[in-house]
Amino acid sequence: MSIRFEDVHKAFGTKKVLDGVSFEAGKGEVLFILGKSGMGKSVTLKHIIGVLEPDRGRIHVDQFEVSALFKGEARNLLPKVRQRCGMVFQHPALLDSLNNFENIAFGLKTPQYAEKIGRTLGADEVDRIVREKLALVHLDPEVLTLYPNEVSYGVQKRISMARTLAPEPEYLLFDEPTTGLDPLSTSSINSLISELSRKLNVTSIIVSHDMACALSIADRILFLDQGKVVLIAHPREVVKSELPLVKEFFEETLSLLPPGWSPA
Amino acid sequence: MKTLMNMVAAVLQEFGGAVIFFIKIIRTWRSSGGYRRPVIQQIAEVSTRTMSTVIFAGVFVGAILVLQFDLMLRRFDAQALLGGLNTSATIREVGPLIISFLLAGKVGAYTTAELANMRVTEQIDAIESLGTDPIRYLIVPRFFGVILSSIILLAIGLSVSILGALLVAQTMSGMNLHQYLASIPRFAGPWTLFEGLVRSTIFSTIVATISTYKGFTASGGARGVGRAVTESAIYINIYIVFGNAISSPLLEWTHDFTFFMIGVIGRALP
Repeated sequence: MSIRFEDVHKAFGTKKVLDGVSFEAGKGEVLFILGKSGMGKSVTLKHIIGVLEPDRGRIHVDQFEVSALFKGEARNLLPKVRQRCGMVFQHPALLDSLNNFENIAFGLKTPQYAEKIGRTLGADEVDRIVREKLALVHLDPEVLTLYPNEVSYGVQKRISMARTLAPEPEYLLFDEPTTGLDPLSTSSINSLISELSRKLNVTSIIVSHDMACALSIADRILFLDQGKVVLIAHPREVVKSELPLVKEFFEETLSLLPPGWSPA
Repeated sequence: MKTLMNMVAAVLQEFGGAVIFFIKIIRTWRSSGGYRRPVIQQIAEVSTRTMSTVIFAGVFVGAILVLQFDLMLRRFDAQALLGGLNTSATIREVGPLIISFLLAGKVGAYTTAELANMRVTEQIDAIESLGTDPIRYLIVPRFFGVILSSIILLAIGLSVSILGALLVAQTMSGMNLHQYLASIPRFAGPWTLFEGLVRSTIFSTIVATISTYKGFTASGGARGVGRAVTESAIYINIYIVFGNAISSPLLEWTHDFTFFMIGVIGRALP
């Protein structure tokens, strides 16, 4: 049970975004991917769920080689990989035409989910799961009948998380989940990510700029720079690193950490 | 010269991309079902969004066309042909063309903007990540919604255009109603309707394909949405003009061939 990258390359036109990326995230692990903007962090996540096809290299999600699922009949296996991976996007990415209930229930009504559980869910079961996931992200049922544009951005983010959790994925992928949030909401979303990753015991890969959060909850932190992995290590080793990028990130974060802080 | 070559290459690349996208839509539609409800929903949305404009434009197009024909026919003392000429031109050429341009302006732009916005806000990625094919969920219903509603809009647009022309011919050109109607069958028959329908289907397929393609492949935030909508409008209009230029001789040839074959079969039968 793991996600594995082996020498993955990706370029958009002449711009190299991933340049030989290799790493593995094991069962139950919380892996943070840090790096400056445009260094290939989000692209890495989109490769896992097969939204992007690598130019070279291999990506494995459990027994599936995702990088080999882009041609012919093999394409039919992509939805199975996506079913295993729940992704929380940078934007809430909720469907405007559906209300919040329908958004959370979206993944429960797909043929892949029916195949996974061996049957189609009844309306009352869908209702129960939606409410259960809503409680997990600490929201009240009143928001269910509202449309995404009728709730705040922070609530939209939580609904987006509930939607991702609904089909019970084995892997949780977070793409800069705190972008655009105020400091209070950022802190509450970070606690939620930490809580969910531990409570549900799923493998989480979190793309972020937030070193403070990474140091508090990550099992390992991976630094991407110019499309290359420059460091992958436990938070304890990260704080001791002499690499300029890591030091830069750490120094920026130091002031945000509570007094007496030490890595998890 | 280099810039011109680059422009041609860009247009060909866009065309190739749109053709591949069209094939994807058809393949997805053929390999899955359950489209009745979303397609009906799209037809209702597209039709209601465009109906008033089609009616408004239809009346004026019919009126302007009949006045122009009247001016020309008057010189040759051939006003008796006004009804037939005007109706034939409206059904075969002007009607499908005007309705397609209206569809491009209203529905095409709306569809591209909606899908492009969904793309840049990662809604399409989210649909994909939840194991649903976005072409099946978003594109196929919109694609057939535009095509099928164009047929409804064509019927309404042509009707109001012909009625508008009739009204103007009577009130402004002093045309006799009986004479006007009597000339119609001389120029417009079932084949004319068939031609109008084929042209309208070709043009609306262009609107549906390009608007969904440009929206689906948009990138680059709000600027990307704007760029997608602009490019969608430009390419749709270019392709409709090309489509018209190609379909006219093809339909003429099909007409001659069909009636030649009917004659051959007719003579061969005892």
